Amino acid sequence: MKLGVLRVALVCLIACAPAAIAQGARIPSEVVDAFHAALRNKDTAGALSMLDRGLVVFEFGAVDPTVEAYAFQHLPFDMDVAVATRWQLETRRVGGEGNERWVLSTYRVTGKQADGTPIDQTTLETVILRRTGELFRIVHFHWSTNDPAFQARAQGQRSKSQAR
Amino acid sequence: MSRAPVYHRRMLLRTKLRALSALTCLFASIVALAGHDNIEVDPAFKRYAGLVTALGRPDPEGRIYSFQAVQGGPARTKYVPDELRGWRLTVLAGKRFAAVFEVQANTESEITVTPLDGPVNGLAVRDVFVVENIAVTR
Repeated sequence: MKLGVLRVALVCLIACAPAAIAQGARIPSEVVDAFHAALRNKDTAGALSMLDRGLVVFEFGAVDPTVEAYAFQHLPFDMDVAVATRWQLETRRVGGEGNERWVLSTYRVTGKQADGTPIDQTTLETVILRRTGELFRIVHFHWSTNDPAFQARAQGQRSKSQAR
Repeated sequence: MSRAPVYHRRMLLRTKLRALSALTCLFASIVALAGHDNIEVDPAFKRYAGLVTALGRPDPEGRIYSFQAVQGGPARTKYVPDELRGWRLTVLAGKRFAAVFEVQANTESEITVTPLDGPVNGLAVRDVFVVENIAVTR
């Protein structure tokens, strides 16, 4: 009986090995794409697995100072947006060396908001990644948009909430 | 003899208050600092955030499958009993960061997970999690 369990465990281990190796072999831009894919696929744990525990997020002038803060409040909303919109990669530059890398991307984001208003804007994304062992993980996101009206609106909302 | 239960209840209350305070601080810092994305869309699915306030009793092998929790969010309402059955629970902090479980049952304040994804051992009081109305992919 025990031998049978061991055999099953061994088969599972062998079956899972290629996926684990593939994940370990990811290059920085693939980590960024995998993060967005996980959001689009409603895979919370998959998205979290791309994040370093020291993550800090700057988003439209706001800060998520810890990975927990981002995961708790912001990631769910980013998932909603990823599911409801289409992000088309327009430009990408990568750089850095050794264990620290960066990936700069611009996306054309299209879709419809909850009230039916069309979405068509450019989102700018800076990602810094750090390699730990074989894996690159995201330590920093910075998102902004080319829509000045939104930037003003978002900062106005923050000013109001801070004044309360 | 009668002091122990009272002390125990006080300790539980203190732990719960500390947890609530932590949750409030976490939300306050987020609400104050975080802007909203410029896009407003419908939620992809129903979800609740939560905070662990106590761990359940371990089975004879030391495995824990349940824990007490308070619901996160500004409303901080209680869970509807068994509403979360079959939902995916993902841990968002602590040693079990990114661990995924399937909810087997829930009361207003206790969540029990199925044994399919293993026990929740390693989860700690004040860890935060999210439960989402979507099946666990295995």
